Amino acid sequence: MVGGRLSQGQVIAAVGAVVLLVGMFLPWIGVSGSSLPSGVNLPPGVANGISGAASTSDNIWKGSTLDIYLLITAVVALLPALLALTDAAEEFSFVSAATFLLGVVGTILVIAWLTVDFPDGADRKYGAFIGLAAAIVIAIGGFRAMQEEVAGEI
Amino acid sequence: MDANRLSQGQLVAAIGAIALFIISFLPWFSIGQAITVGGTSVGGSVNRNMWEAENPLDIYLLIVILVALVPAAMAMLGDGAEAPLAPVATALLAGVGTILIFYQLFDHFGSGVSIKIGLILGLIACGAVAVGGYLTMQEDAGGERY
Repeated sequence: MVGGRLSQGQVIAAVGAVVLLVGMFLPWIGVSGSSLPSGVNLPPGVANGISGAASTSDNIWKGSTLDIYLLITAVVALLPALLALTDAAEEFSFVSAATFLLGVVGTILVIAWLTVDFPDGADRKYGAFIGLAAAIVIAIGGFRAMQEEVAGEI
Repeated sequence: MDANRLSQGQLVAAIGAIALFIISFLPWFSIGQAITVGGTSVGGSVNRNMWEAENPLDIYLLIVILVALVPAAMAMLGDGAEAPLAPVATALLAGVGTILIFYQLFDHFGSGVSIKIGLILGLIACGAVAVGGYLTMQEDAGGERY
């Protein structure tokens, strides 16, 4: 136990969750391109990305379902730490398993987004890699917390 | 294979997962594509199913389908292997999936995009998988509520 109440796994997951929440506001995707010829108008949503001559970058909150999923993952990963601090962890003993599952699936989704689903012509920014690392840390923390719970029962 | 080996929750989750897989090939979004060149507009609308949308939702829902179907298939085949996390995983991932699909109803990326029948049916099917997972959790716990 760390600090008397939090297990090591819960601390790792909570740190990963905080890093993920911060990382979600960093640039994940960058778009650079030249100006369109005059008289050419693109559909709404497309024009913002490529019509300007300057490069633009966006965080994960714009343009993907990944934002709400990663938010849920971060909240669930923070939950055991908050519950442990309030001595209420026994009522939700499956939260460590949920943290592990959401962390693993989050890692898969970020990798898929960076590879299969990544928009053509866009650049991967450092925020995406920080998010990926944070999702992996949450999964490891959740797994470790599960192991610690099992060891505590024996 | 023996479907009688499935619990009620596993059956609900499996039927929901199969329905979700079939529904994933129906139109989920319609994308209006119109380009104006020198005052002349060219274009129309194109339907996209779950797999064609540039969105990680397809991979996520595939994971949900597999997590719901694999334990049911193992039970039907009479495999004695224990998967104690399977009901929790099914309920949790399908529950989050339902939230993600519901979120798509309001955040579908731009004014040129509209939702289609597949998204609504997918929401219902994913909700059914979550309910099936929850019922299995309760059955496994012998009536003990989580």
